[in-house]
Amino acid sequence: MTQPASRSVGHYQYEERDRAFLQERINEFEGQVRRRLSGELSEEEFKPLRLMNGVYLQLHAYMLRVAIPYGVLDSRQLHKLADVAAKYDRNYGHFTTRQNIQFNWIALKDVPTILRELAEVDMHAIQTSGNCIRNVTSDEFAGAAKDELMDPRIHAEIVRQWSTLHPEFTFLPRKFKIAISGSPEDRVAARFHDIGLLARPSENGPLFRLFVGGGLGRTPVVGQELFDSVKEEDLIATLEAVLRVYNAFGRRDNLYKARIKILVQTIGLEAFRKAVEEELARMDRAAYRLTPEHVAQIRARFALPDLKAPADASDVLEQHKKADPAFARWVASNTHPHQDEGHICAVISLKTPGDIPGDVTSEQMHGLADLAERHSFGEVRVTHLQNLVFGHVRKDQLHELWQGLKALGLAAPNVGLISDIVSCPGLDYCNLANARSLPLAQKLGARFGDAALQAEIGALSIHMSGCINACGHHHVGNIGLLGVDKRGAETYQILLGGDAGENAAIGGILGPSFAEDEAVDAVARIVEFYLGQRQKGETFSAMLKRCGLKAFKEVAYETV
Amino acid sequence: MKRLSRPGEGEILLLTASRLLDGRIVWLGEGEHWRESIAEATRFTYEDAGAALERALAEAEQKEVVAVYEVVAKDTQPPEPVTTREAIRAHGPSVHPDFSYDHAPVREKESAL
Amino acid sequence: MKLFDLSGRKTLEAASPVPFAEWKDSQQGTAISLPQDVEVEELRPYLSSLTLIVLEFPVFRDGRAFTQARSLREYEGYKGEIRASGHLLPDQAIHLRRCGFDSVALSEDANVKDWEEQLGRYQFYYQNTAVSPV
Repeated sequence: MTQPASRSVGHYQYEERDRAFLQERINEFEGQVRRRLSGELSEEEFKPLRLMNGVYLQLHAYMLRVAIPYGVLDSRQLHKLADVAAKYDRNYGHFTTRQNIQFNWIALKDVPTILRELAEVDMHAIQTSGNCIRNVTSDEFAGAAKDELMDPRIHAEIVRQWSTLHPEFTFLPRKFKIAISGSPEDRVAARFHDIGLLARPSENGPLFRLFVGGGLGRTPVVGQELFDSVKEEDLIATLEAVLRVYNAFGRRDNLYKARIKILVQTIGLEAFRKAVEEELARMDRAAYRLTPEHVAQIRARFALPDLKAPADASDVLEQHKKADPAFARWVASNTHPHQDEGHICAVISLKTPGDIPGDVTSEQMHGLADLAERHSFGEVRVTHLQNLVFGHVRKDQLHELWQGLKALGLAAPNVGLISDIVSCPGLDYCNLANARSLPLAQKLGARFGDAALQAEIGALSIHMSGCINACGHHHVGNIGLLGVDKRGAETYQILLGGDAGENAAIGGILGPSFAEDEAVDAVARIVEFYLGQRQKGETFSAMLKRCGLKAFKEVAYETV
Repeated sequence: MKRLSRPGEGEILLLTASRLLDGRIVWLGEGEHWRESIAEATRFTYEDAGAALERALAEAEQKEVVAVYEVVAKDTQPPEPVTTREAIRAHGPSVHPDFSYDHAPVREKESAL
Repeated sequence: MKLFDLSGRKTLEAASPVPFAEWKDSQQGTAISLPQDVEVEELRPYLSSLTLIVLEFPVFRDGRAFTQARSLREYEGYKGEIRASGHLLPDQAIHLRRCGFDSVALSEDANVKDWEEQLGRYQFYYQNTAVSPV
């Protein structure tokens, strides 16, 4: 039926019981669809059930969101996603800011069949939506990055399993998102999750710094540190305790005040911590202990890449760069140092300027899967900035990979640069949106598409959301754009100074909103001002701090 | 029951929904059948729309549609929704002309200036 | 109303539950019902005299009673019957059982077959619940 498990690296390899579990889940959903069609389930009752299986009713059709746990795919899975896109969608897949993939043109009647096809490659759509614990996200350079303290994916998988169909936490007040990173640089926006975990090793095993109550959306809040050093054996117990307090006391009377961040804000961090500690004190700790044996069992189901590179791999890469300036530019922006001297992480931009951020065609997915097979042990990661990563590329073969990417139209040298725009689908697809976000993202991408100009501007992030639910994370972009409906017209607010990482900050609103084309011009003036006024090596956020929001405001509104 | 949107001068109301089985957007047309094209939508005055909406809601389950509501449109041939959201629903996503429902791109937005 | 047995208790309590707020004054009978916003700790002094606690679901999406039931079992050591009542779906059968519920009060026209099918659905679960081992 399925390929032998040993083929891919980077994620948990399913056992028979995991596969049987998926089949049961699909049978269950099939029954729910049947009961909905027979009228046994009302739409009101069916909706939460379908959401917990990743099925939304969007503007034009149903949307199916498929889980990519901690953002790691293997090539057979990517081939399968490509098949689903061609067979059941309009040939596209859309990678999201939560490391998942969405299909926008799905028919409800096809969903059970699609889920069966996905299950053939150990994929599912469980808990990609609904008021439950959502798909766990992680660091896109996990297990590869040179600066990593520990690989967070083993514990991400443990959390995934623990949260799957958790009987107590499936009907929470609101959705619940957990992210986990093992890097000193927070690459998962841990402070913007309901729970963010930063893992680090110690003499006595892994420790977890736990942030709680962060989030974007209507009420952006930077998460606060609940515990500095949760021991590995207490990880599950601690998550249980936090969720119990939330399930019992989170607000259920108001959709917009139901996230855990509001509970933590309302009662205060100290009272919240006390409640969690009380739960921990009463809990049967033995029953919830995460044992070293269990961790070892999960770890054993992760295959490791066999990293062998020729001694001159780095030299060969340097020669390729010298010979080909376009390649050198791509290497400068689209790679990340690897733990192994002969390897490198390659970031594949899904932000070709002028295209839709995060969209890939079925053909591109097939092509990427083949390239991953050849160049990265069949492993592909999805980033929370809507790009892809090949984790372990031999340096001497990077040029060959780049040529392959060029042939697929996926070699934009803009990762971390201004045209690497994060965007939600907006009003073109989404039922909740107030304004379109994709056309504006496309226009901004085209405006700053020139490779030399982008390189000159340097690191600068633009994040775009079509409504205050903030799926495009506009609060944490250096430049954020928010679509608002102004008496029936789509307009856009500009926010400046957001940051998702270690220096977590929420962007400040510049002033009244702009029409679409005005917003593009205003962003261009802001960028020009930055280029003209920045001191040597000064980041956008640093200059904003130095000059103040008002100076940027005057430039944006041309009031000087 | 929620108050209906009130059409302005030269505007009418249409009824729309999503088909339960495939999620496809439909418009209430002749003989109270749900149609895929807005060109086939029945035009209602504010006075007539309330009763029609109530009937459509009552029959939604049997006709396998969900999310039934009214849309304000210009009384043109074919009717043209006044909001961008409903124009996108009527014509398809603006970023994919190849996915258009009527093989004509969504009208260009008028400049706010 | 018909009772559906979740945990295999066989003999389900037949007594009519009295709202806890009323029961506290009289302490007549051994069956109470508890709204979702009462912390189960409040029951602690009375647990030994109770044989049935009915936890209410005003709507199936409101999952507070799952935590209430689990707390009664795990923290308070309550051994009597816990029953779910209100707006519930067969799709919640396993959640109820694994959080410590014994029974569910269904309307007369409820489809018991759906509940039975759901109870037998999964061969294993990914997490311990410290109650109602399967």
